[in-house]
Amino acid sequence: MKIAARDIMTTGFHTLTPETPVNEAIKLFKQANQEEGRKIFGMMVTDNDGHLIGMISMYDILIYMRPKHIHIWGVMDDIDVAGIIDVACEKTKSILVGDIMTPDVITITPQTHIFMIMDIMIKKHIRRLPVIEDGKIMGIVYISNLFYDLLERFADE
Amino acid sequence: MTQPGKNTLSGLVVNRAMRRQVIRLSQDTPIGNSINALIKYKINALLTTDAADKPIGVLSKTDIMGAYYAGLPIDSPLSHIMSTPPLFCSPEDSLEDALEQMRSNGIYRLYVNDPENDEIVGALAYPDIVGMLYLYCHECEYSHFRQKRKKDKDGVRRFAVEEIMTREVKSVFKDEPLLQVMELLSEYRLGAILVKDRENIPCGVISKTDLALIYKHGVDSQTAAKAIMSSPVQSCGADELLEDAIRKMIFTDVHRLFVHQSTPDNIVGVISLSDAARIRSGSCHACISSRIKVDAP
Repeated sequence: MKIAARDIMTTGFHTLTPETPVNEAIKLFKQANQEEGRKIFGMMVTDNDGHLIGMISMYDILIYMRPKHIHIWGVMDDIDVAGIIDVACEKTKSILVGDIMTPDVITITPQTHIFMIMDIMIKKHIRRLPVIEDGKIMGIVYISNLFYDLLERFADE
Repeated sequence: MTQPGKNTLSGLVVNRAMRRQVIRLSQDTPIGNSINALIKYKINALLTTDAADKPIGVLSKTDIMGAYYAGLPIDSPLSHIMSTPPLFCSPEDSLEDALEQMRSNGIYRLYVNDPENDEIVGALAYPDIVGMLYLYCHECEYSHFRQKRKKDKDGVRRFAVEEIMTREVKSVFKDEPLLQVMELLSEYRLGAILVKDRENIPCGVISKTDLALIYKHGVDSQTAAKAIMSSPVQSCGADELLEDAIRKMIFTDVHRLFVHQSTPDNIVGVISLSDAARIRSGSCHACISSRIKVDAP
């Protein structure tokens, strides 16, 4: 019976280093999508010793790309400034994964009960939780892992 | 209609100009983590909170630069460097009162507290006020943008960048250390400084944002300016219209433009969104809102 993180976690995962420029990270997201055969919306960031130091999600990158004053000019239908998107993309070259990642990461252990995982994801509005044991990354639980587990339970009925 | 001599900001309340997303972090957060929030949300300061989640202070890029200058460990808590207490206004306060409160306290932002529910509902900073006024100018029938499409000119005199810019431009040489950069930024209360080579040719800019990032990256403060400056220098011409300069800053997330005259290398001033708000905000003489004065000229 699957009852804990270790039973449902994904053990094949990709990580990023904090020194990776954000534009490179976006390419690595694409590569990880292909290699894992699933849509990857967030990756763990590790230091040289493989310890977890943060997470970077698609959302972090989108927040950074969002123009600061968009609420002012987003409503104008007659803007004609060429190349705004190119300028925003250019800025991702000089900013690093470590600069915009979320450093405070909630983690679970292999023993964490799946209902506990469900509760954390709902309360904290997060969709992925790294699984850590003795300081080492054992895997990651995606919100989809929880749902696929449910699907299996119903299929067995 | 605007009455002559009457400030068109009258009647405008804080609620109209404030930024509704307020980033807050616990005062126990390490400095390094707060830099991520400042960079990601492109803000100059954030609100710090105590254990009960009550606002207790403000953490600005200036505070972070101070920590870098003093050599504080990057994992020191925000409580060691934040400014206290935060200052508040109410969403229904007039913009004029809020601006006056900022001016008299020598600060760059107010947090907006909704007295009914006693909760923080926004933040008000100079660039947000410029943004709101830009929207007004854009929609105005005298808008330079609209006038471009018409053949006949209206005779309204518009501000040029040189009328608003700060004429004194501080600079460092590219081989001078970051410590020197930080001393000048602090002494003259600047957000950024021009970097020149020994032939006095401008070659880059260092902002407080750049300094926050390299503090996080562990770069030694004795490092030469050229190693971290951003180049080329973003500039505009002294005779360009203020409206166009503000537009460029608002659209491309640049907080300041250096101002050149005759040739790009001849930098004669600097204009920031904060200057535009503090000195005059609108872009022409067609309405009085263009002449709000916050600082004494």
